[in-house]
Amino acid sequence: MAQDQYRAEPASDYILRSLDDVTLVYHRRSGQTHIVVSPVPEILAALTGDISSTAEIVARLSHDYDLGDPHDALAAVQTHLDEMVALGLAHVA
Amino acid sequence: MKHQVMLRIGPASFRVGSAWPQPIVDLARLYAAYPQPEDGIADFTVRLEPTRPWRRFIRPSVFIGGDHMLADAAPMALAHGLLAAEMGMNMQMALGWRRHLLLHASCVEKDGRALVMTGESGSGKSTLAAQLGERGWRLMGDEFALLDPSTGQIFAFPRLVSLKNQAIAVMQGEAPAERFGPLMRDTPKGDIRHLVPNRSAVTRMDEGTIPALLLFPRFGFAPEVREVGQGEAFMRLTQASTNYVTLGERGFTALTRFVTDIPARAIDFSSGDEAIAMIDRLWETLA
Amino acid sequence: MSGALLVAVLRNPASASRLTPGDWNGLIAASRAERLIGTLAVRLAGVSVPASVEPILADARDEAAREARQALWEADRAAAALAGTGIPVILLKGTAYAAAGLRAGEGRFIGDLDILVPRDRLDDVEAAILTAGWEWVKPDPYDDDYYRRWMHELPPMIHKERDRMIDIHHTILPLTARQTPDAATMMADAVRLDNGLYILSPEDRVCHAAAHLFADGDLAGGLRNLWDIHCLLTECRSMPALTARAAQHGLTKAVARATRLANALYREDRSGLTAFDHLFVARLLARDGWGRETRKLLRFAFFVRSHWLRMPPIMLARHLWTKWRKGHRPA
Repeated sequence: MAQDQYRAEPASDYILRSLDDVTLVYHRRSGQTHIVVSPVPEILAALTGDISSTAEIVARLSHDYDLGDPHDALAAVQTHLDEMVALGLAHVA
Repeated sequence: MKHQVMLRIGPASFRVGSAWPQPIVDLARLYAAYPQPEDGIADFTVRLEPTRPWRRFIRPSVFIGGDHMLADAAPMALAHGLLAAEMGMNMQMALGWRRHLLLHASCVEKDGRALVMTGESGSGKSTLAAQLGERGWRLMGDEFALLDPSTGQIFAFPRLVSLKNQAIAVMQGEAPAERFGPLMRDTPKGDIRHLVPNRSAVTRMDEGTIPALLLFPRFGFAPEVREVGQGEAFMRLTQASTNYVTLGERGFTALTRFVTDIPARAIDFSSGDEAIAMIDRLWETLA
Repeated sequence: MSGALLVAVLRNPASASRLTPGDWNGLIAASRAERLIGTLAVRLAGVSVPASVEPILADARDEAAREARQALWEADRAAAALAGTGIPVILLKGTAYAAAGLRAGEGRFIGDLDILVPRDRLDDVEAAILTAGWEWVKPDPYDDDYYRRWMHELPPMIHKERDRMIDIHHTILPLTARQTPDAATMMADAVRLDNGLYILSPEDRVCHAAAHLFADGDLAGGLRNLWDIHCLLTECRSMPALTARAAQHGLTKAVARATRLANALYREDRSGLTAFDHLFVARLLARDGWGRETRKLLRFAFFVRSHWLRMPPIMLARHLWTKWRKGHRPA
């Protein structure tokens, strides 16, 4: 799976709203509301516009955030990406 | 159908038909002060029918039907026909209403601002609203609060207040006898008695109000007030809404605006008077 | 009778301007009971109606739009689940009409997702769908065995997070039915849509709808199904093409009857209706001003008849007995 390329659902297909403690994602095509916390909104932002591999997303995120151990970070981001694909927020390109 | 009545509660209108006269006689009496549907055309049809043709006479048993119904809704005894009619109307709202975001909540208004109280049954939200409705607040509803997605206002759905068990005696101490319906013993929910909302609740039922405070009351615990975060409030309100999903993006927009604009608190209480004192204090400081 | 009123207004929306409040109450109740209120609302867009009716119709149009969006999303998820198998997803019924923007899909209630897959790939499909989060609705060994031995589809599955049902068809009619439409030919001639999903060819859409109209259930929902057929007929390349295709599937009688009934109800063309057709029409229009079904005896007759069509008599008796013992009774 590490070689898979991902793209985000087009930004026009979802709405992001930050509340005081969580972020809400309303996904228009499914009509579903997802309650998410970091780093999901950050991954979504890092994916927008480009088709990227997991490693590229991790590299982009580590510009702005301290991700700790790179191996753990890669595994964690991969898990989130798989979940986002299942929800339709990201797609395997 | 043989017996029928039409009525309007806030923005929603109903046509109720029955195979038996009594539920319709009761509805007509208790809803006498309510308006008729515009043009004589109702939003929803409710039917009270025998489960089998012969069951109209022998051990009569009421099947609650209508435009929207649950396939597995159990029939009720004819003696509980008024409750069946109310359940039928609630069912239409819960499954069919989409002009507002429907919150399973009670609601009262003072000085043009609304207090919304939500919680499971037994939380005390219904009795509290009924009590406040007799103590200077306007009762907007004991079961549903209607949130308008385009304005953010709450609209009233002041149906008959459904009092259960001990709440019956509590309200008999607050409201005159002529506003009560028949006492129905041993219904699936225990003893039930309906209370007609007072004059101002009925005459002002079409007035929308800006919400000012959201409470999650819980009866039967030592008094305590807790702040509720926006995320938790959002999640609990989606679970307290039967049409959040149906409304799609309009529901999302309405509810996120509601939880970001309005302070939310959970309150535990052990008596009605204690809760009302807590509500008065919170209303002073937050609303 | 509100069933007849509903059909008349669908046929001629302009006639709605003459309705009394009593008519409207009956029409709204009947159209909800027949799950045709969305279709009615689309037909009545632009017709002048009483002020209190306008929001009811607007709600119905909104609800239909949401249904369609939801259905297309389920189709998208099923396609994603099956992507690895290389099996094309052929959409059936409401989802197909919505995906292709067909007239039958306008305002239509949709409900479950129905897809058609090759029978010899069922194991792969089942595995992929289960992996993607759908699960069996009822773990009842009798029902499961019954489905697998005799039905044209797998037992229903529901998605554990989205709460939506999927019906996976592998043949057109139950294996016990006397007609045996050719599913392989239907799949071979399926039409590819822009999004990579498939729908049946215009003639096969009519064949499929007609086969199910008479083979399923007790004609409940028949007015809606005949509205579908009425709309689908206009998309066939030609009547001879449809007739030839129906003959190929052994559905000549079903397609001919469905066409006669659709024409009788929605075109007011009653030519060639047989005595038995008149019974069908009476059954289809059996709705009173409160949205209730009338003519209960006729309904029961159709329930038995529909099982007769699907199952040889001994099997029918066995099936009913098993159902009745568990407390399920038709009526």
